[in-house]
Amino acid sequence: MKCAEIIDQFSFYSYGEVSSELEERIESHLAECAACRLEFARHQAFMDSLDQRGELNEGALLISCRADLRRRLTAQPAGSQRWTGLLASLRDFSHFHIPLRVPVGAMALLALGWFGARYTPEKFGGMRAGLAQPMFSNVQSIQQGDSGKVQIAVDEVQRRVVTGDLTEPRIQQLLLDAVRDESNPGVRVESIGALKNSAESEEVRRALIDAVSHDPNAGVRLKALEGLKPYAGDPSVRKTLANVLLKDENPGVRVQAIDLLTTHHDDSIVGVLQDVMQKEDDGYIRARARNLLETMKASVGTY
Amino acid sequence: MGAILAAPLDEADLIRTAQRGDQDAFEKLVRTYDQSVLRLAMNLLRSPDEARDVYQEAFLKVYRNLHSFRFDCSFHTWLYRIVTNVCLDHLRRRKVRKEESTVVETPDGPVDQAARLTEEGPSGNPERQAWNRELSEGIRTALDALTPRERTVFELRHYEGMRLRAIGEILGTTEEAAKNCLFRATQKMRASLETFA
Repeated sequence: MKCAEIIDQFSFYSYGEVSSELEERIESHLAECAACRLEFARHQAFMDSLDQRGELNEGALLISCRADLRRRLTAQPAGSQRWTGLLASLRDFSHFHIPLRVPVGAMALLALGWFGARYTPEKFGGMRAGLAQPMFSNVQSIQQGDSGKVQIAVDEVQRRVVTGDLTEPRIQQLLLDAVRDESNPGVRVESIGALKNSAESEEVRRALIDAVSHDPNAGVRLKALEGLKPYAGDPSVRKTLANVLLKDENPGVRVQAIDLLTTHHDDSIVGVLQDVMQKEDDGYIRARARNLLETMKASVGTY
Repeated sequence: MGAILAAPLDEADLIRTAQRGDQDAFEKLVRTYDQSVLRLAMNLLRSPDEARDVYQEAFLKVYRNLHSFRFDCSFHTWLYRIVTNVCLDHLRRRKVRKEESTVVETPDGPVDQAARLTEEGPSGNPERQAWNRELSEGIRTALDALTPRERTVFELRHYEGMRLRAIGEILGTTEEAAKNCLFRATQKMRASLETFA
């Protein structure tokens, strides 16, 4: 393949959208062609720069969108989804086996009660949307006994609100647990935000360092870096910052790391900055590293 | 009953239950996807008002047409087909109106309303903030210069991380056509952002 053809494939190659055969050809071409390697580095820098678009925060809007949608769904004319659903429920209900000895009147009352509760608007005391309920349950096992009874094991989680001062150990412990909640990055950001002013505590600082080094969400890592700001001179924090600067995949996080690392000038960061000059694609970070090396009268490259 | 409803349901079960008119099931379906739908609309249109319209229009369409969903593609693909069509309509109307929907004139000069919604970054030095602002503005201008279709393909591939095959399915076209569209979009973006290299 010619260089121009290879270059045309760069964006698909970066996105992993080429066949494995083409991928191999591109890689072997890159291994041999310095001009294409340079062009690919430029392409990667361009791709990374696109992350600077800035994410929009849709949180508040989402809540009002949901409320509007619920209002509009309630206002939907009968005959759309809700009416179809009622008919379907009636159809399903007719399939149930009704023992003849059960009085028909009682069944009718039961059905009326069920449909009444199910389809009465909320303002008249009807059923609330399931997601608004504070309790979450999960059926773990079901056992049928000889007597016709069924034994169901249900795990239930009851939500409760805990209020307290940030200095209280039980509050700090809850927040530290929340920092490790893998399922919810929003909770991790909030808990780090709450903890960041308590980083004088060894345990909190360790949690922040852990989040900076290992959290998969860049927003959480950035928040944790903010919390470490007053401790940028601490050797363990500096070691973490150097690692982040060289290894974190998010340029925003690397930028924050270099800014914190360079608040204290010491010789230990010269090697790191020289590494940055060699490996970094982001123009701003490279420029920052170069300036600092020049300020510290260190050579820009390693020889 | 609440306990049973709260138990996790398989998505197909949830869809079937919603198809029978169960509001709770429909709401659960909405909540599974609505944040990413709103984010896509916000990022494509850079206008909270238009994103809100897209959200309402798209989910009302889903509500009215859910009975016609036959499981011949994933629900995600079906939903995103509706959402991207609504977004494309908005982008096309905007092109016709030739409006800069997010930029408003103020006594202090033009202000990008969407930029106000951008998450506040960590505090840093002014030099870096200026660089980031300039680049961010450059990216928005470059994205605005794309055609609605190029813009959508680029958004879905680069920012949403979808595969070209899925994008083709969503846009009712082939993977190859989506690929060509992405190529054109990338070339244009790179040319527009050359000054930041």
